[in-house]
Amino acid sequence: MALAKTVYSLLFRRTSTFAVTIIVGAVFFERIFDQGGDAVFEQLNRGKLWDHIKHKYEVKEE
Amino acid sequence: MMSIAARRSAIGTCLQFTKPTVNASVFSRLVKDFVPAASANGKVPHLISRVNHIIRPVRDPLLSSQFYFRSEFTGATGIRLAHTDIKVPDFSDYRRPEVQDPNKSSQDSSEARKVFSYLVTGATTVVTVYAAKTVVSQFVSSMSASADVLALSKIEVKLADIPEGRNMTFKWRGKPLFVRHRTEKEIATEEGVNLGELRDPQHDKDRVQNPKWVIVLGVCTHLGCVPIANAGDYGGYYCPCHGSHYDASGRIRKGPAPLNLEVPFYEFVDEDTVVVG
Repeated sequence: MALAKTVYSLLFRRTSTFAVTIIVGAVFFERIFDQGGDAVFEQLNRGKLWDHIKHKYEVKEE
Repeated sequence: MMSIAARRSAIGTCLQFTKPTVNASVFSRLVKDFVPAASANGKVPHLISRVNHIIRPVRDPLLSSQFYFRSEFTGATGIRLAHTDIKVPDFSDYRRPEVQDPNKSSQDSSEARKVFSYLVTGATTVVTVYAAKTVVSQFVSSMSASADVLALSKIEVKLADIPEGRNMTFKWRGKPLFVRHRTEKEIATEEGVNLGELRDPQHDKDRVQNPKWVIVLGVCTHLGCVPIANAGDYGGYYCPCHGSHYDASGRIRKGPAPLNLEVPFYEFVDEDTVVVG
């Protein structure tokens, strides 16, 4: 509860800090959402993507 | 409110009363005459007779010569009905659990409720901002050239194929591209040109990255003909259409053309290769 109080008085109480919170939150949200989405996609298509089968076709340099 | 309208001739007896307030006896006569239902039993209802009423002339817009009289009385002429059978709506489904109890102070929970409200608002806005940003950036990037178009817009020139003192022409984005391998003598001549005698003053070092190589578009700045290399009075390019002379740096020296030959964007990938575009 003390944390919520601090968050409220520090971030949400003023419109300016609320807006900054939203923008900073959007930056982090974008990163997490995009990377999470990519991870889910790769998990669902495991073994089918080029990155997963590339080693079979790469010519080894001796 | 109840009002009675009558023609002057019909209520001529009442016209003597010019005061706005007419006493109850006059009014009861009026009511008897013009509202038969109200005085069916010969008596004016008690409620109505006690109300002050106003007789005032009303000018009829259509029959301007006629006066109408209107008697209005305002006040409690209706009966107030009991409405205890109407249910007060119950909004407790829509209220936060913290404020359901009317005997508890809502101040204690105000902070928590505000935090919740702003958290929900903020989270929604964050997602909206992300969605809006994605839509806009997708739209903008859809307008830029795709990778295959970009790949076609560049050409790679092998410089080893061009001997010193020669000029080679390539096709780049539908236009001729001149790549010239200059001799030491030409470099020295072009660097020593006095800028004051140029029509479009530009120093040679501003037009080349490597003084050995001059890369210009082969389009005459006059009317767009393709100049001939290693010709003309200045040993650079000569446009046969209207006789413009360019020097070995592609600068206009003589003739009708107003500007120097255009230098495209290019970069040297290594000693031997240049990528234009």
